[in-house]
Amino acid sequence: MAEVKTKSEVVMNRVAIVAVFVALIIMLTPIYWIASTAFKPRSLATTVPPTVMFEPTLTPFAKLFVRRSQMREPVEQEVYEAAPWWEKLIYDDGENVVRNRRSGDITPSGYADRYKNSLIISIISTFLAVSMGTLTAYGFSRFKVKGEQDWLFFILSTRMLPPVVVAIPMFLMYRTVGLHDTHLGLIILYTAFNLSFAVWIMKGFIDEIPKEYEEAALVDGYTRLQAFWKIVLPEALTGIAATAVFCFIIAWNEYAFALMMTNRNAQTAPPYIPSQVGSGLPDWSVIAAGAFLFLLPVAIFTFLLRNHLLRGMSFGAIRK
Amino acid sequence: MAQIKLQNVQKFFGAVQVLRDINLEIEDGEFVVMLGQSGCGKTTTLRAIAGLETVSSGTITIDGREVQDLKAADRDIAFVFQSFSLYPHMTVYENIAFPLRAVRIPQSDRDKEVKEVAKVLGIERLLSKRPSALSGGDMQRVAIGRALVRRPKALLMDEPIGALDAKLREQMRAEIKRLHIARNSTSVYVTHDQVEAMSLADRIVVMHDGVLQQVDSPEQVYLHPANLFVAQFVGSPVMNITDVSVEGAGTDALLRIGKSEGFRVPSAVVSHLNGAPAKLGIRPEAIILSHESGEGFVETETTNVEPLGSHDIVDIRIGDETLRARCESGFARGEGERMWVSLDHHRAHFFDAGNGQSLRKEV
Repeated sequence: MAEVKTKSEVVMNRVAIVAVFVALIIMLTPIYWIASTAFKPRSLATTVPPTVMFEPTLTPFAKLFVRRSQMREPVEQEVYEAAPWWEKLIYDDGENVVRNRRSGDITPSGYADRYKNSLIISIISTFLAVSMGTLTAYGFSRFKVKGEQDWLFFILSTRMLPPVVVAIPMFLMYRTVGLHDTHLGLIILYTAFNLSFAVWIMKGFIDEIPKEYEEAALVDGYTRLQAFWKIVLPEALTGIAATAVFCFIIAWNEYAFALMMTNRNAQTAPPYIPSQVGSGLPDWSVIAAGAFLFLLPVAIFTFLLRNHLLRGMSFGAIRK
Repeated sequence: MAQIKLQNVQKFFGAVQVLRDINLEIEDGEFVVMLGQSGCGKTTTLRAIAGLETVSSGTITIDGREVQDLKAADRDIAFVFQSFSLYPHMTVYENIAFPLRAVRIPQSDRDKEVKEVAKVLGIERLLSKRPSALSGGDMQRVAIGRALVRRPKALLMDEPIGALDAKLREQMRAEIKRLHIARNSTSVYVTHDQVEAMSLADRIVVMHDGVLQQVDSPEQVYLHPANLFVAQFVGSPVMNITDVSVEGAGTDALLRIGKSEGFRVPSAVVSHLNGAPAKLGIRPEAIILSHESGEGFVETETTNVEPLGSHDIVDIRIGDETLRARCESGFARGEGERMWVSLDHHRAHFFDAGNGQSLRKEV
């Protein structure tokens, strides 16, 4: 059904469309930049003006996962012939691969491990924050809690100061209790970060679910926990998905604490990628390749949950 | 099916008392309607029976078993909400089967029960649909189906058709009555709609301010309201209530409204009042209008006419009071018309001017 629009509304509408496009360009340009640089040969990565048309190459990705060294003398012909395609890309680019002295195997770079760490830590901390947050929010939403407003404020207040402020005490504490450079350490940290956020967002969503749903289930012979599991959770799925996306993004992108609290075993990708700038000459293509791959999980996660993010909360089964 | 008994039930929300000493016995197979304005405590009473609300004191028994400390799930009753509360993420079939799954009834029996209830309610074709695809009436049928499928001891309904439009309400009312007769289930039904109450109830419970005002059959509640509140709450248009003074002795007494001429009635009608200040209650249909003067008629003037199709509501002035009379349509031509009015004293009610209790003559 078309609604009546005045001329000025039509104009405003056009202006809004233009504004959306401008905003899109501003936001997507860096992503395009990273994505295009990731496929550029090293020589084209830093040209001024930037090269737009080029033949894409996978060399930066090959280099990303392998430890390399400067090529002092050309690779022997036999070795080159026997090498797989990605290894050849590295030789073609004038670099050598670092091999294990005893076994002769190619040594991988730290990227894959860091990436795995990022996935483990982000997924587990997101799961913990969202599940604990949902239960807490349910409690606040459905039961009379003494000093509810104060508690909620207290929960929110944990996010009121920049986390970096507590970085040094946290660092000292973590070192004392042996959580430094462990997965568990970062998981606890990120869960604590995200919990207050999850509680607040989930409370909003659960408040929206009519109490009668659970009451109907309670009268129908279910326990409170069963009612929560069978009725509230499915209804809150939209909210849970949205909260999970945000918590995941925050944990995935966190840089400052990851830099400080980890150095090897549990280091995540964000502090690792820029550290590559310092080793030898910065190879911007490789860094862009690392950043590009780093963007993918968030994009995929968000894409998978897009229906839940977009779907309205209530789909009309209750009359108000 | 079961008998439900409430004894001295009290309920406080903080410092506010919402139920005051509720005593009520609901017989097996009886249809009881709790009638009252919003906030009178009728829904709280219903929820207390269901176990969705705790009581501060008093006992609730279902079939002789005290249940006030039992969880809702253990009381074996069913509840129909005004909002229907169908689970949006389940199909109609799953919604109806949901209570059966709680008690772990085998799949095949479950299927049979669901189909049977669906057949009774005429919603078989909807079983695979989601609640969001249903009309209001069908949603309500499903909600009732979900309540009935478990064959509960009692069926509690909280304004189940309040959210429907007028025509559908009428239809659903008839269906609920039919279902009640067919299943003979003990039913407690909450509404603020007196028409629903009158048409459905075996007994009506009129509530006000957390107190039971009158518990009686619909006819009794209408013909012999226990107090001013019930008198004015039941009946449409509302019963005329006015201050009245009783004069004269002998065979006839004079009922004087304000400074009017007064209506002559047999003194036996008012003898039990003993001259104490009283209020007269008279339903619009008990006011007799005439175009001509006559014995016992008082001259008056119409001030407003509401034509309602089947009948008209005519406002007339007596003394300083406006009384509303019901008469056949077209009887009064318009406002300012001269009329003669008389009261049907058999249908006059008197109430204590102080506490509003009915001053009914002991028969």
